[in-house]
Amino acid sequence: MRTPARPRLLPIAAALALALTGAALAGCSSTSSGSSGQAADKPAKLTVWIMKDSLTDGYLQRFKADYEAGHPGTTLDIQIQEWDGIGQKVTSALASKDAPDVIEVGNTQVAQYAASGGVHDLSDKTAELNGKDWIPGLAEPGKIDGKQYGIPWYAANRVVIYNKDLFAQAGITAPPKTRDEWIADTQKLNSGGNDGIYLAGQTWYALAGFVWDEGGDLAVKGSDGKWKGALDTPQAQAGIGFYKQLQALGKGPKDADEAKPPQAEVFAQGHTAQLISTPGGANAIIKANPALKDKLGFFPIPGKSADKPGAVFTGGSDLVIPESSKHQAAAYEVVKALTGDKWQTEMAKEMSYVPNRTSLASALAGNDGAVAMAAGAVNGHATPNSPNWAAVEANNPIKQYMTQVLTGTDPATAGKTTSDAITKALNSTS
Amino acid sequence: MSTAPPPARTRVWPYLLVAPTVVGAAYLLVYPLLRNLLISIQHFRMAELIHGGAPFVGLDNYTALLGDPEFWTVVRRTLAWTAVNTALITGLGTLIALMLVRLGRRMRLAVMSALVLTWATPVIAATTIFQWLFQSRFGVVNWTLDQLGLHQFHDYAWFAHDGSTFVILVTLIVWQSVPFAALTLYGGLTTIPGELYESARLDGAGPWQTFRLVTFPMLRPLFALVTSLEVIWTFKCFAQIWVVSQGGPNGATTTLPVYAFQIAQSLHKYDLGSAASMLTVLILIAALVTTLRRMYRQEGEETP
Amino acid sequence: MTATALRRLRRAPLNLAALAVLVTSAFPVYWMVITAFKPTTEIQSDTPTFLPLHPTLDHFATAVSAPGFGTYWRNSLYVTLGAVLLALAVALLAAFAVGRMRWHGRRAFILLVFIAQMAPWEALLIPMYVIARDTDMLDSLSMLTLVYFMTTLPFTIVTLRGFLAAVPAELEEAALVDGCTRPQAFRRITFPLLAPGLLSTSLFGFITAWNEFAFANTLIIKNQDARTLPVWLSSFANVFGTDWGATMAAASLFMLPVLIVFLFLQNKVTTGMTAGAVKG
Repeated sequence: MRTPARPRLLPIAAALALALTGAALAGCSSTSSGSSGQAADKPAKLTVWIMKDSLTDGYLQRFKADYEAGHPGTTLDIQIQEWDGIGQKVTSALASKDAPDVIEVGNTQVAQYAASGGVHDLSDKTAELNGKDWIPGLAEPGKIDGKQYGIPWYAANRVVIYNKDLFAQAGITAPPKTRDEWIADTQKLNSGGNDGIYLAGQTWYALAGFVWDEGGDLAVKGSDGKWKGALDTPQAQAGIGFYKQLQALGKGPKDADEAKPPQAEVFAQGHTAQLISTPGGANAIIKANPALKDKLGFFPIPGKSADKPGAVFTGGSDLVIPESSKHQAAAYEVVKALTGDKWQTEMAKEMSYVPNRTSLASALAGNDGAVAMAAGAVNGHATPNSPNWAAVEANNPIKQYMTQVLTGTDPATAGKTTSDAITKALNSTS
Repeated sequence: MSTAPPPARTRVWPYLLVAPTVVGAAYLLVYPLLRNLLISIQHFRMAELIHGGAPFVGLDNYTALLGDPEFWTVVRRTLAWTAVNTALITGLGTLIALMLVRLGRRMRLAVMSALVLTWATPVIAATTIFQWLFQSRFGVVNWTLDQLGLHQFHDYAWFAHDGSTFVILVTLIVWQSVPFAALTLYGGLTTIPGELYESARLDGAGPWQTFRLVTFPMLRPLFALVTSLEVIWTFKCFAQIWVVSQGGPNGATTTLPVYAFQIAQSLHKYDLGSAASMLTVLILIAALVTTLRRMYRQEGEETP
Repeated sequence: MTATALRRLRRAPLNLAALAVLVTSAFPVYWMVITAFKPTTEIQSDTPTFLPLHPTLDHFATAVSAPGFGTYWRNSLYVTLGAVLLALAVALLAAFAVGRMRWHGRRAFILLVFIAQMAPWEALLIPMYVIARDTDMLDSLSMLTLVYFMTTLPFTIVTLRGFLAAVPAELEEAALVDGCTRPQAFRRITFPLLAPGLLSTSLFGFITAWNEFAFANTLIIKNQDARTLPVWLSSFANVFGTDWGATMAAASLFMLPVLIVFLFLQNKVTTGMTAGAVKG
C-alpha cells in the first residue's frame, strides 16, 4: 500500500501545465482572429430595447413604420424585454462589443448605468432636445457629473383603475377620497364572487406610497452620509398594516408580484373591481378583454384625508445609447424621434404617460387616466437617491418582507431584517 | 499479468487520443477558471466589466467574504441542503432498488418506466410542473390536503414561507434524482450472484443482516459513486432553486451557487461572486477528497 | 389456490409500496400532460378533475403559435445535437486511451476528469461571458454548443469508459494478431460492440444540453433569434400569464424530444450506467 505523497502530484501538475499552455494558445489564436464588425456609419438595422408593457404593440408598430419610411435604409428591430433579470441583461449588453443601439432604462436604474461608463454622453444634444424643459425626476437620474447620459422619455405614477360596472352594482356612485372610504367601498365590492381589489402581495411601490403617507420612508440618509433602511419604523409598520388590510379584500397572491400572473389579465376576467397600476395598464386590460373598453374608470390613490391624495412613486424611463452601439448617430435619431413632440404627444394620448417635457402636458387634456394621475402626482415621491438603489431592487428584500408580514410574521421582526439588508446594500461600495 | 512494454510508436497514441479533451478543457474549463481566479483578486464591478482596467486588490474579496457572517450562514445552509438531499436520494434510491428486485416482472417494468419518465423530465419543465402542483389557488396539492381534512392548506401560499419553500425544493430535487440512484443501484443488485443470498439465508441472516453483510459490501463502490455524484449534483444545484425561489424567501434557500450568482449578476459585484465561486470549488473538493483519494488509489491498483 | 392467495397476501405490502412509488413518480408528469389537454374552465376549477373529460388541443395551439417557439425549438435542437456529437467523438478517443492503454499521467487524467464533473458552471458565467465577448463569440449558437460540449464531456468520458470496459480487450487483441492495425481493430471489433453504449451515453449529454438555461441566458444578448427553449420557457409566466394550460402544453412539447430519445434508448441506459459505475 503506497501512501499518496508528492510524486503523485507530479502528473497532475504536468497535466495542468499542459492545460495552461493550451489555454494560452487557444486564447491567442482566437483573439487575433476576431476582427469583424460592420462600418459604423452605414445606416442599417438598429436594435431598440423596450421594456414589456411600456408601450402598446400598436404604438410601436406605427412608430416603426413611420420611422423607417422617414429614414430609408434604416430598419428598426424593436425587442421587448422582461423586467425580470433586466439589470444583468442590460449590463451584459453594455459590456458587449455590439450592444443594442437604444435601450429603455427605468428611472431608478439609469444612474448606475450612467456611472458605469458604458453609456454614450449626450450632453451636447440637450439643447436640441429642449432639455431645459425636461421633467427633473427623469433628467436628474440620467445625469452624472454634469453630463447627460439618459434622455428623459416618460413619467407615470400609479392610480386605481376600477371596473365601473362592479362599482355600480355595489351602489358606489363616487370614487373614494380617503383611505377609510376606500376600505369601506372595497369591502362592499368584495362580495358575490368578485374581488374588491386585486393587490398582489409584493407590489412594493404601492407599499412605499402607504409608508410615505405615514411620514416614513424606505431608507433615510444620516448626517454621516450613511444610508439606513427604515422599514423597522412605526411609520413603516403602519404602512404595511394598511397594505395588509387592503390586500385581504381580494384574492391577490401573497407570495408574488403584480407580474406573476400579470394583474391586467386577472382584472380582464371581469371579477375584479380595482387594480393599482399606471393608467396605461388599461391598454393591457382592454387587449385581454375588449369588452371592458368603456367600463374602466380611474381615481388617484386615496390619502389619509380628503385634502391630499395618497403618496405615489414617480416612475418613468430614460433612453440611453450604449457606448458600444455600432450606429450611435443613427441611434440618436431614434431617440430624438421618440422624445420629440409628435411621438411624445401620441404616447401621452395612448398610454396616459406624462410626457418628458412640461410644455407637452396639454396632450393629456381630456384623458381620464391622466387626470387621475396628475391629481396623484402632486404627492409624488422618489426612491432613495443612491446609485446603489438599483442593487436593492435587483434582489428586492422589500418583496420578501411584504410576503412575510402578509402571511403572519411580526412586522417588527421582519422589518428589522429587511432594513438591515437595505442598509447593507445601500452602503456598499460599487 | 503484465505484458511486454509496448513499442515506442504506440506511446504517442494515448496522448494524441486525449489531446482533444485536454485542449477542449483547457480552453473551456481551465481558462475560464483562471479568468475567474483573476477576477477574484481584482476590483471588478460593472465599470470594470464594461471598460476593463480592473486593479488588483490581493485577497481583499476573500477577506470580505470570509468576514461576512452571511457567507457562513450560506455555507452551513448549503451543507445542510446537500446532506438532506443526498441522504434522501440514496436512502430512497436504495429502498426502491431493493424493492425492484423483489417485484414481479410486470410491476417492475411499470415502476421502472415511471422512474424513467421522471428522469427524462427536463429540469425547467419539472420546475414549472412543481410550481403548478403547489400553486396556492388551483394547485392540486392544496386541494388534496384540503380534502384530507387539513383545511389550513386551503389557498396555502407554499412559496411564501422559508420552511415550505425549502421542503418543496427538496421534494423537487429528490423526485428528480431518485430514479438515477434507484436504477443504477438496481442494475448493481442484479449482478450479485443469487448463491450469496442463498448462503446468507442458510446462515439464518435476516433481511437487514443480508443487506449489511452481502448487498452493501458487494455494491460498496457503486454506493460510493452514487453518493458522491449526488453530493456534487445537489451541492451545485442552481437552476431549480433560481427559477422557483431565486434564493428566497428571505434568503432561506440561498445556497452557495445561488449566492455567488446573486452577488455577481444581481449586484454586479463580479469580484466577490468570483471569490465565492472559487471557495465553492474548494469546499466541494474538500468534501470529496476522501472519495477522490480512494479513486486515485483504485486506478493505481487495476491494470487497464 | 390458497398457497397462491397466501403468497399474494404476503406480497401485498411490497406491491403497495411499488404502487406508491409508481404514482409519486408519474403523477407530476401525468398532471402536466392532463393540464395541457384540459379546457381552461376545468383548470381553474375549485375541484380538479383527474381525467381528461373534455380534451382540447387549444393550449397546444397557443403554445406553438407563441412568437418564436419554432425558432427556439430548432435552436435548442441544433445546439444540443452539436454538443452531444462533439462530446461523443472526443470522449470516445479519451475513453479508449484511458481504458485500453497504459501511459504516464493516466491516473491524473482520470482524476481531473472526475474533478471536472464538479466544475461549478454557473460560477463561470462571467469569465465565460468575457471570453466570448473578447473572441466575438457572443450571440452565437456555436459558443453555446462549445460550452455544452464541455459541460457534458467529463460525464461522457466516465460512462464511455465503463462501456468500453465491458467489451473484452481480448477480441481486439485477436484482431491485432490477425494483422489489423489498432484503429482497424477498434473500428471493426470494438466500435460495433460499443455502439449501444454510445447511444445511451449520448442521452445524458442530450438532457444536460437540452435543459441548460444560465449560459443560454448570458451568452445570447442581442440576437433574439438565437435564443433557446429553456430561456424562453423559464419566463413561462411572462409568456403565458395565468394560462397554465398553455404553460403545461409548452412544457410537454419541451419534454417531448427527451422522452422520444429515452424511449429508444431506455433499456440500454441502466446497464450502461452500472457498467460505468462499477468500473469507475
